[in-house]
Amino acid sequence: MSQKEFFIKRYEALGWKYHDAKPRQAIRINITNAEGWDVAERLRTLGIELEKIPFLENGYWIKKTKFSVGATTEYLLGMYSIQEAASQIPATLFTDLRDNAVLDACAAPGGKTVQLADLMDNTGVIVALDVKKNRLTALANQLERCSVKNTVVYCLDARKASKLKMKFDKILLDVPCSGNFAADTEWFKRRTFGDVQRNAKLQREILAEAVNVLAEDGEIVYSTCSLEPEEDELNIDWAVKTLELKVEKISCYGEKSPTKIFGKRLDSQIENCRRIWPGKTQGFFVCKLKRA
Amino acid sequence: MKFISDFTERFGVKIEFDKKNVVEKENRYFLLNDRLKGLITDDFFYAGVYLGTVKNGVFLPSVNLLKIIAKKEKANKVFVDERSAWLFICGRDIFKRGITKIEGSRKKGDYTLVLNRHGECLGFGIILKDLNDFEKGVAIKNVLDIGDFLRREKKHQEE
Repeated sequence: MSQKEFFIKRYEALGWKYHDAKPRQAIRINITNAEGWDVAERLRTLGIELEKIPFLENGYWIKKTKFSVGATTEYLLGMYSIQEAASQIPATLFTDLRDNAVLDACAAPGGKTVQLADLMDNTGVIVALDVKKNRLTALANQLERCSVKNTVVYCLDARKASKLKMKFDKILLDVPCSGNFAADTEWFKRRTFGDVQRNAKLQREILAEAVNVLAEDGEIVYSTCSLEPEEDELNIDWAVKTLELKVEKISCYGEKSPTKIFGKRLDSQIENCRRIWPGKTQGFFVCKLKRA
Repeated sequence: MKFISDFTERFGVKIEFDKKNVVEKENRYFLLNDRLKGLITDDFFYAGVYLGTVKNGVFLPSVNLLKIIAKKEKANKVFVDERSAWLFICGRDIFKRGITKIEGSRKKGDYTLVLNRHGECLGFGIILKDLNDFEKGVAIKNVLDIGDFLRREKKHQEE
């Protein structure tokens, strides 16, 4: 059995029939930075055709454009960011971010950090971490372009977040993952089940450390762009049972996660997670956690 | 932070940041709010509002600092037409014919911010000739423009 067949069989076992998918390019308006402008309208006058993403407040798909949306004055002024539709979901799931202490534990290249700052209206503080120093430059450029004011960036492994000696009201764990075939045409050739297992282990370590730095009534939003249950539902099932977390109900795009995976019965709370199969967006998984 | 206030003075306004709110990291300068000031540790990579860097003794401002200067009513500003604005972002100089409005200094050698028709700051340049004295030719030499973000992205991808 080829790698591709192996993974496709797993998706079928989860109830999804494989088909090719190419996610559409999407943008997110940075409201704080738009300074009252109707940015979508400005882009339309430039000849960029947009389609509102129905499940996102500030998201638009690019329908048609004659030039790169990453090279307009509006982009360079930080009025919008280029951010895939599904990846715009996690930051919106927190309740009331204003004035909070927020940890963005795996932050580079910074699309979600900028989104958090926008949702916070630059109040409070964001601590953004990434373990790879060469990725921090891209993150810093994003913060400068979008005039983010409330963020401090450290080159630090999320598994060592306790070193910060801080407690966080909100923690975004957009963890390193195996990705998915819709976001990478070579995915089936590149990825092995061993990669999935390695990433799942790393993700558990990051989850465990996040709990150590979470404020008593704090919230964790966990997300991946992996379709593999080991990185998604099975990790959250482990977190519920091991880290004494509960899965909060969320209202967002996506299907309820299955509570029985490859014959294994999971905690019933797992159905509060959302699994997004590739189609209108790339593949994605997201959930919100609190202390039980 | 005298070099920062000296820099802003070249636009006809003196902006002085409280020393206590500015931190330096490897010759890069950042403006912090009270909340960040209270928690930041020495090993940070980036924080608050990036103001600029000093290279070979010369202060190179950030786009954020230019935006702060642009908020000052008395700062030197030229407003340019759409075509000139686009060319400026692509790294080109400003021709006299592209200028639609001038505020503040028109004097050769002074710095001036370059704004588009919406009043958005696109960067800054040096006035090459007294702006009252001539009709044609290059008026403002491009020093920094927001297209730099793209050039940085490209450079980063190549690395």
